[in-house]
Amino acid sequence: MHSEWVQFINGKVNGANAATGVGEAGDSWIKVEAEKLFEVCEALKNSSHDFNALQVVSGVDYPAEQQIEVNYILASYTNNTELILKVRLPRGDENKLPKVKSVVSLWSGANFQERECYDMLGVHFEGHPDLRRVLCPYDWTGYPLRKDYVVQEKYLDMVVNPAHKMNAEERRFGAEHEYIQGASNSIENYKVDPPPGYKAPAASEESKS
Amino acid sequence: MSAHSDHGHSEQKTVFLGEEKLKTDLLTVNMGPQHPATHGVLRVEIKTDSEIVAEAIPHLGYLHRCMEKHCENLDYRGVIPFTDRMDYLAAMNMEYGYVLAVEKMLKTEVPVRAEYIRTIVCELQRIASHLMFYGTYAIDLGAFSPFLYAFQDREFILRLFEELSGARLLYNYIWIGGVWNDITDEQLQKISKFCDTMDENLKKYHTLVGENKIFVSRTAHVGVIDTKMAFDFGATGPVLRGSGFEWDLRKKRPYGLYSKFDFDVPVGTGEKGVLGDCWDRYSVRMREMHESLKIIRQCLAGIEAGPVMGKVSKIIKLPKGEIFLRTECPRGELGYHIVSDGTKKPYRLKVKSSCFTHVSMLPAVAPGLMIADLVATIGSIDIVLGEVDR
Repeated sequence: MHSEWVQFINGKVNGANAATGVGEAGDSWIKVEAEKLFEVCEALKNSSHDFNALQVVSGVDYPAEQQIEVNYILASYTNNTELILKVRLPRGDENKLPKVKSVVSLWSGANFQERECYDMLGVHFEGHPDLRRVLCPYDWTGYPLRKDYVVQEKYLDMVVNPAHKMNAEERRFGAEHEYIQGASNSIENYKVDPPPGYKAPAASEESKS
Repeated sequence: MSAHSDHGHSEQKTVFLGEEKLKTDLLTVNMGPQHPATHGVLRVEIKTDSEIVAEAIPHLGYLHRCMEKHCENLDYRGVIPFTDRMDYLAAMNMEYGYVLAVEKMLKTEVPVRAEYIRTIVCELQRIASHLMFYGTYAIDLGAFSPFLYAFQDREFILRLFEELSGARLLYNYIWIGGVWNDITDEQLQKISKFCDTMDENLKKYHTLVGENKIFVSRTAHVGVIDTKMAFDFGATGPVLRGSGFEWDLRKKRPYGLYSKFDFDVPVGTGEKGVLGDCWDRYSVRMREMHESLKIIRQCLAGIEAGPVMGKVSKIIKLPKGEIFLRTECPRGELGYHIVSDGTKKPYRLKVKSSCFTHVSMLPAVAPGLMIADLVATIGSIDIVLGEVDR
């Protein structure tokens, strides 16, 4: 099935360089050139292959290769087929996001999917009608699903990860600490440091007496 | 008024004396994030022209828990409890999809008994989830008592799951290679009894709500999603079937044991109004419960003794590669796209959630509806915000 599609794409779109690939297990995919993505999608949709629904746009970050991969998973309800279409984009940096042409004009369902991909991986979809973040707050910075993402320290004057709420090393599951090794199981060992600036309430008069 | 000319109300509007000089403006109303009719923390920003919706913009993310990021730091078994927490009303189905994807990569053989148990719990979960829809949808439209009826039967299912797995909502029951715990004969008998009473009950429930004149006039002709629009947005599940297109993954791309069973795929017919309206989606769900009962009965007849856990190595490492696997959940198709780099943690795990897709249809469906009809439409696509935001 995939070889048929590859032939079709290469015949229809000049310079798409479609090629199949498969891992050691699982599904096979078709990889195309990023510049030709829109034409490829258009051809696949308006043909006898009839990919009439876009299932999902799923981005994957490969920092070692300085690339971001965007997977367009297409499906056809009429032919009962499914296809993973891949493009690879240069990873860019904060000022220059990776760019690919939006497919919203082909499938309206791409609208939210591309917004999510932009939100999570910082892929700029050219020609998207409304490219805003969708899951994170609109004024969030950074792209969380990139592998080198570090969460911002403050958001609207609130500390994002306050130290006293984070998992301290000694409470982490499987941590090799003395209370886990059985030296002492006293409740004292489970004590957590109070948050910075926290003052214990003064004992009231009644409790003193 | 741009909104008038856009949505074609200007022709019908009566202009009273002096009104043409009035400055009118669209009113912005926020529905949610804390609103009982949005089934969770969805915020819909509505631009209204008196009572008529000109524009509805969904704002998501109030329940975003970074599940996909978490999964990159967990081993393959550790992901299962996280999948529970996406669609918390259909946790079994969520687990099943993920586990199937991992098993397909590992080429694990699952014992037949385990597959039967999985099918039974998944179909029971589908009934529980649709009952929840039935109850809350009636509440959305102003009828309270159906909710109580629905919860009686749902309670049976939750108690059974509690016996099976130890939890009422978030089970962690379906494991890679099988299921956690065997089901007893006593429990199977209970389920069998439940099936007998449930068929009758469902008919009763349907007469109580579905044939009610007020309910019909609130839902028929409202929030119409036709097949073309459903394809365009990639809608799945009852929303797609409600628009009259017969598509069920359990039939079309069978997984697990589903190819063995005999059941029908209910589709919308436009019986009370037009094809693809809210009533059709309601009706599809109600009829689906009968089909689920059929499947459960066939499971009960076919289940055989045997082990419930296959052979799986202690540390699960998926081979390099990727997989996209879709399963049919109560709210639509759920897809897991797992990218593995050969280590014991997923390199990337992307969840294709049907609710996310269905929420994205709101801006297209809403214009021209009354505000109360928008509530009916949101209820009829039956979203769970845990799955939308993940």
